[in-house]
Amino acid sequence: MRKGKSLLSLAAMVAAAVVCLLYQGAARADTLEPTDSGAPSAIVIFPVGEKPNPAAAGMAPVAYNHVIHEKWMNRTGKECMVCHHTGDPVACTECHTVEGKAEGKFYTLQQVMHTPKVRQRKENTPSSCVSCHKEQTKQRDCAGCHTQLVQTRDDDPNWCRVCHTITPSMTRAQMQKGIANTLSARQNEVLATETALARKPVSYWSPLMAPYKVSIDSLKGQYEAALFNHRHHAFSLADRISTNRLAGAFHTSQGTMCVTCHHNSPASTTPPKCLNCHSADLKRMSPGRPALMAAFHLQCMNCHKDMKVGRPRSTDCATCHKIAPTAARTTQGE
Amino acid sequence: MNRRKFLAFLGSSGVVSALASVRVAEAAPHVFPYNENSFGVLHDTTRCIGCRRCEAACQAVNNLPMPEKPFTDLEVTNERRRVTAKAWTVVNKYEVNGQPFFRKLQCFHCNDPACAAACFTKCYTKLPDGAVVYDGSQCVGCRYCMVACPFNVPGFQYNLAWDPLVLKCTFCEPLLKQGKLPACVSACPVDAITFGRRSDLIRVARRRFDDHPGKYMNYIYGEHDAGGTAWMVLAPAAGANPGPVDNPDTASKEFKQLGLDTHLGNQPMAELTYGALGAVPMIVAFWPVLFGGAYAITKRREAIAKASVEEAAKSAKDDITAAMDAAIRKIEETEGQAAADRARRAMTEALKARESQDRQGEAHNG
Repeated sequence: MRKGKSLLSLAAMVAAAVVCLLYQGAARADTLEPTDSGAPSAIVIFPVGEKPNPAAAGMAPVAYNHVIHEKWMNRTGKECMVCHHTGDPVACTECHTVEGKAEGKFYTLQQVMHTPKVRQRKENTPSSCVSCHKEQTKQRDCAGCHTQLVQTRDDDPNWCRVCHTITPSMTRAQMQKGIANTLSARQNEVLATETALARKPVSYWSPLMAPYKVSIDSLKGQYEAALFNHRHHAFSLADRISTNRLAGAFHTSQGTMCVTCHHNSPASTTPPKCLNCHSADLKRMSPGRPALMAAFHLQCMNCHKDMKVGRPRSTDCATCHKIAPTAARTTQGE
Repeated sequence: MNRRKFLAFLGSSGVVSALASVRVAEAAPHVFPYNENSFGVLHDTTRCIGCRRCEAACQAVNNLPMPEKPFTDLEVTNERRRVTAKAWTVVNKYEVNGQPFFRKLQCFHCNDPACAAACFTKCYTKLPDGAVVYDGSQCVGCRYCMVACPFNVPGFQYNLAWDPLVLKCTFCEPLLKQGKLPACVSACPVDAITFGRRSDLIRVARRRFDDHPGKYMNYIYGEHDAGGTAWMVLAPAAGANPGPVDNPDTASKEFKQLGLDTHLGNQPMAELTYGALGAVPMIVAFWPVLFGGAYAITKRREAIAKASVEEAAKSAKDDITAAMDAAIRKIEETEGQAAADRARRAMTEALKARESQDRQGEAHNG
């Protein structure tokens, strides 16, 4: 037994050593891949300003992942000019500061990053972060939710934090230097890399947690109940964006995939019933809120239209809900 | 009467009638005051799927005749149908920037309806709840309302020989009175026609513009068009720039593709017709007197002038005859009977020649 015990402890030590080695190796591999252009793989964009700022007060800086943006550009045939619109690959904050500078035509840093739509220019219209990301939501896989979704930052404390987040290891001195634009490039890259690597995509709630099929039968009458395959729809939506890194970065909640349909309430695996807010009686509804039938139809039809799901056509009623055998055709429209 | 006189009369009477009609227009500006709480409907063409449920509901509620093709036949939406006396609402398909969209046509229930202003038997009423309703008991079938309507809505019962009426959407006024919703609104499966207070609907529309940037043209058709209408329409941007807020010119292309004219102006159509049609009774009463009087006066003047001319001519003739007689008598006394006869013949001939010359001259001048 003694022999065996020592063997076991030896094995444990070896295993620990291997793990340590592996971990060290992994730690050494904890850098982003280099960019093709030779630019830093990631940079921190500080709220650079010329006014004295002893408290280092300012918006949390953004760690911009150069590599994945460059990869996306290579994949889609875009050029560096999309962001570096002057043709000169300098940092944004060289011309666009918190207060604005003559070099940047007094467009402030906030403006150039958040403008939702940049006015067309004669030569090379640049993109802002927001305008480009908004444009991406128009692609087929995203459009189903994103054309229906009414996004508001008012009630979402995490809205800004999706981008404005920085590793806690950043010191106030570094922030102060960053604001004064005197932080060394090396330190900047270290901070950015650390932040970028800490970012992990969230795992959504599994569609298996939700019912398999939902029978929508509260409006039964002329038509039979509609049997909605909840699981198929949820899986299909998640599958389509499973490789989309932009979606991975911005879908920050486990319930993100739920909240387009189960809207206006906190994301939950047990959401409130549609009937709670959308009365079946049209007369009880204020004009801004559709009654139950319209609420269902608008969500289903608009999503199918925006995701270019060819069938069923919006007017093929019996595809989703069979005509009730008892309902005479004469009652149509009543 | 010569031409100059006629034109002078016409001018003066024109001024008089213009003054009169201005006074009439000032006296009766808005027959129907705008009611803040009136109802309306917001038609969102980005939602409409062209299922024709509203048409079927309208037919059933208003006991209209069944159409030739059943309501389940959706191919008919490809035609540019118009509303008629038999179908008070129709849904048509329109291409907006190459994409298909549907629009429901019915009475817009204007705030200040042109049909009501055009009707001289006062068949039309704009009710405080927003509906423009028609009562055919006084209708003479002149169809002025059909001409006046900027949306070509009122339909005439051409098939009836006896007492044909003008029929159009009533906003389901009988249902509204019972506290129910218009039949088409209840039937719509996608809330493409939203019922509510008009002021609320305008807010709802603006919120949709804000919530879904790029989806709609930035213009509520009917908020101000034709002086404002109870039924309002939103147009899809369909890839176009939504444009600045409330600019009918930038939104005109998309609305035109939906068959809607954004150049009707903000002035109620009725204001254009109140003045002219308000002057109709005045014209009927005064113009016969005015022009009859003018005619009588000129005729009388002509008669007096003619009489005086004739009198003058006659007296002149009498004078000549008297002078001639005196001269002949004198010749008879001095030269004898034969000379007097010769003189009389010569004078008579000379007189005749002159008269004929005068007549020729007059004919030439006249």
